[in-house]
Amino acid sequence: MTPLSGVGRAVWYAPDLDTDDPPDGGSIDPSAELARFESARADARAAIEADRERAAEQVGEAEAAVFDAHVQFLDDPQVTAGVEDEIDAGAAAEQAVERTFAGFIEQFEASDGRMSDRADDLRDVRDRLVRALSGADGVDLAALPAGSVILAERLTPSDTAKLDPNRVAGFATVAGGRTSHAAIFARSLAIPAVVGVGEPLRDVEGGASVAVDGVEDTVVIDPDPETRTAAASDDDHERREAPATTTDGTSIEVAANVGTVADLEPAVESGADGIGLLRTEFLFLDRSTPPTEDEQYRAYRRALEAFPDDRVVVRTLDAGGDKRIDFLELPDEENPFLGERGVRRSLGPDASLFETQLRALLRAARDFERGEGGLSVMLPFVTTVEEVRTARETFSSVAAALDVDDADRPEFGVMVETPAAALLADAIVDHIEFFSIGTNDLTQYVMAAERGNGRVEPLTDDRQPAVLRAIQATVEAAESEDVWVGMCGEMAGDPDLTPLLVGLGIDELSMSPVAVPRVKQAVTDVRDADARALAERALAASTSDEVAQLIEAHRS
Amino acid sequence: MPERLVTVVPEDGIHARPASKFVEAANEAAADIRVGRPGEDLVNAASMLSVTGLDVGPGEEVQVVAEGDGAETALDQLERILRTPEDEL
Repeated sequence: MTPLSGVGRAVWYAPDLDTDDPPDGGSIDPSAELARFESARADARAAIEADRERAAEQVGEAEAAVFDAHVQFLDDPQVTAGVEDEIDAGAAAEQAVERTFAGFIEQFEASDGRMSDRADDLRDVRDRLVRALSGADGVDLAALPAGSVILAERLTPSDTAKLDPNRVAGFATVAGGRTSHAAIFARSLAIPAVVGVGEPLRDVEGGASVAVDGVEDTVVIDPDPETRTAAASDDDHERREAPATTTDGTSIEVAANVGTVADLEPAVESGADGIGLLRTEFLFLDRSTPPTEDEQYRAYRRALEAFPDDRVVVRTLDAGGDKRIDFLELPDEENPFLGERGVRRSLGPDASLFETQLRALLRAARDFERGEGGLSVMLPFVTTVEEVRTARETFSSVAAALDVDDADRPEFGVMVETPAAALLADAIVDHIEFFSIGTNDLTQYVMAAERGNGRVEPLTDDRQPAVLRAIQATVEAAESEDVWVGMCGEMAGDPDLTPLLVGLGIDELSMSPVAVPRVKQAVTDVRDADARALAERALAASTSDEVAQLIEAHRS
Repeated sequence: MPERLVTVVPEDGIHARPASKFVEAANEAAADIRVGRPGEDLVNAASMLSVTGLDVGPGEEVQVVAEGDGAETALDQLERILRTPEDEL
């Protein structure tokens, strides 16, 4: 499924930044302006890092790396020196930033191709600084009416990263090239886009009906009914909703990862077959007291109501590691990733929180009239059979106390994200109804290499044979007892890996909602026998290069 | 002064991700690193603006010079980044 076409109402997007007029008051205090610049730089850095994280989740690690470059532009010694010189010469921080960047942008634009595309990166960094200085919010691209076709002079990486492919019908820009991030993000998010249309685009009025064809690179104003139907059919909701089956009829559940209640709507719109991972940390973050049982109950009900006929897998609180919960006063650990996190806390210091959460979950399961789906409860960061057994006992006693019928009782399962859980899967399987493989952590712990640490990056590739073998051990254990096995890490959302994962025997793939349509498409292209042969060869491979080559050969 | 001549492999040249990795490594190194086309002015390798401003494409040769502690180790790492295809970086 490649960049498609889309049709909708034109909306002009013009980030309005006014830096021409110096602020009120004639005298400028250079040291105060310098302090304002430093503080704006810290704000801009935080905003870039937040965008980076979201882009990594929604688009991909490779695309998100553009924001690393933005931090580097922000901290560039030439930028710092330029701004300081301007401020020393009497400029306010805004003008100092504007003038310093103007020179570099001009220089970048004077050459062609890749470098002039990088001028967009400089504009993006400059605009963030100016916004931080002026306290103005950016225009919220995520809040545009559904079905909008966005028209803009240009879109910066931070603009593009905010686009929601389930709401935006497409976009077109006056300027920008094929290697601009707007173009790259559009391809990854499967948003119909034409970048660099040129001057004629300016004549399109806001509100006009516009068709954007990202394959033919055309923008049509007031398209005739035929063009309109052809363009709109690419976004057929029914096709999205249809369950994904391979060419041989094997059905693969393609579900969504959900991190907050606000993510439910995009998850439904993506056509996901349920929720494969509902992270519950959002209920606990940024507050000074734990959420009440009723508050949790309402949130879980909403998730069940969003997917009345599908499975909703809820992960119990995964505190510790990089997830800091203010009111828990987590201990300072030398290495929190190997410390008290996930189920270790739920069975230790957070035992009463755990019971409250289970009560809220079991009540939601009991009260909600469900179709075929229902609620599943999943434990994070499991390493021993004792943990699973103890947690299961708590689960059963809470269920008994609440008079939950066996028919309403949620499935009970564990995440496989440590080598211990994968190696012990054949023993753990006796106590559970499902596994879900969390490949982000599993890869880190199997390879003993941190994702995001550039020095060890090749080791954090999900295609490492050791990772595949850990997955295989889990699938084998699941098949021996006829329990299902899902996957909820980034690996699950990569359509290039879909044939391999289906071949390995994964039953459910859960991912960021934006990835759902392309993975569903990838599933329908899978031939079971080919996928199994690919998986066998990949499991026999001894290097990640071999695995990558096998996947590449399978694609072509 | 230790130096290397390296033919740039990544398909984007020293832009985008390879540039980012290169500048990051130069910043982390204790040695002062400079980079540029052989025979032309070299620029500060720890500056993203300067490195991007060189506009080096794939297949071009660059000179990387290091001065100070750990110069050879830093050059090893920088050379590795420039010799690694983009999708493996």
